[in-house]
Amino acid sequence: MTDSAGLERGYRRLLAWYPRPFRREREEEILTVLMASARDGQRRPRPIEAVDVIKSALWMRLRSGWPARPGQGWTDALAMFSLAGPLFLLAIDLLEVAWPYRMSNIGLFHAYGLPTGGHRQIGGLTLLGQRGFQIALGCHLLIAVLVLLGLRRIALAAIAGTAIYWFAGRYWIPAPLQQFSVSFYLLGAAALIASPGPRRGRHLVNWGHGVVLLMVALAIQLSTLRYIASTPLVRLASGPDTSAYPWASIALVVAAAGLVVMLKMNRYFPLLVLALCYPYLLLVAVPQTSSSNPVWHPTLVHLALRYLPLLLLAAGAVLMAVTPRRPRATASPA
Amino acid sequence: MQEATFLILTALAQGSQHGYGIITDVKDISGGRVRLRAGTLYTALERLRADALIAVDREEIVETRLRRYYRLTPKGAELLAAEAARLQANAAAALSRLKLTGGTI
Repeated sequence: MTDSAGLERGYRRLLAWYPRPFRREREEEILTVLMASARDGQRRPRPIEAVDVIKSALWMRLRSGWPARPGQGWTDALAMFSLAGPLFLLAIDLLEVAWPYRMSNIGLFHAYGLPTGGHRQIGGLTLLGQRGFQIALGCHLLIAVLVLLGLRRIALAAIAGTAIYWFAGRYWIPAPLQQFSVSFYLLGAAALIASPGPRRGRHLVNWGHGVVLLMVALAIQLSTLRYIASTPLVRLASGPDTSAYPWASIALVVAAAGLVVMLKMNRYFPLLVLALCYPYLLLVAVPQTSSSNPVWHPTLVHLALRYLPLLLLAAGAVLMAVTPRRPRATASPA
Repeated sequence: MQEATFLILTALAQGSQHGYGIITDVKDISGGRVRLRAGTLYTALERLRADALIAVDREEIVETRLRRYYRLTPKGAELLAAEAARLQANAAAALSRLKLTGGTI
């Protein structure tokens, strides 16, 4: 065979597209097939072969939990969440900065004597100049870095510290997104306590999870913009037409759910993401009126409705983790 | 069931085969119409293995190259038989209706 070493090198470069664990087990085997299928005198992979291998490799990367689909249980879902949850929260913050609500007429704000800080936008880069938001973003970034490094206990301490900061009022984030704070403290901490942690999560989370979470984060930002636009004062300041945003948001969530089913992801993982979003969903579902706003005037019932289910879920996860399990019954010989 | 999946299971129905063997067998079974490439084959094999329709039978080293042989599991054989019966019934129905309407076969 002509220049089989060169051809082999070319194939190996293509096989590098596959996820590392898959490659470890299958590279030699697929290479055998590729070399056997090569034409006489072929010196490099043909474009059709390259497309075929890359397509297969991308599919493998998007598929959940290669090899042998581990991580279908509750504990692994928590491990995935312990890693993906902080990254998701950070993505939501960054989208708020990257995609503000731009107003075209802020004269009425001034007429009402309301401060705008001279800004024509809600959210966006102006957030980065505000100390409360800097602290919030810094805390979220720190937690994300700690889980990426697999430092479970330090990440847990950082979540506790962030919660204290938030409680002390040192931490500020725009109102709709504030809803993620308490749910994240509860679920993030529970995931770190009750699961094998972000190191295990790193083996289970893949590009597919990333795409799903990004779609959900975009849906949240769209719905936040709609929420801002529907507040009475902002309505007066006239901004972009957001009437189609809720539909776009729903379409993104449906597409993300479809991807979860198609990629056969751990079924508990989307439930945890849904639980994280639950207080936010309650908020945006309530029609905006100036007199009854659950963000500014939460009653005890509001708070219980918002956080009790999350508290029970977090407590249940921790309880399951600390409760010794009964060994499975095995069939005895007849 | 996709045609490629059906043909891969059919290729394994007579005994275990390695990757390249499956490719050549699928080509023969389909009369040269279906030519599997390595990437497509291994995506399908992964899916079939995850669904417990096939399993790794054995490994061999031939001229310094690794060959892994796959075999059909009982569940895979059952699914293939059901699919073949379904296709046969559909084909029979189509042929009988073509005869009734005087179509050519």
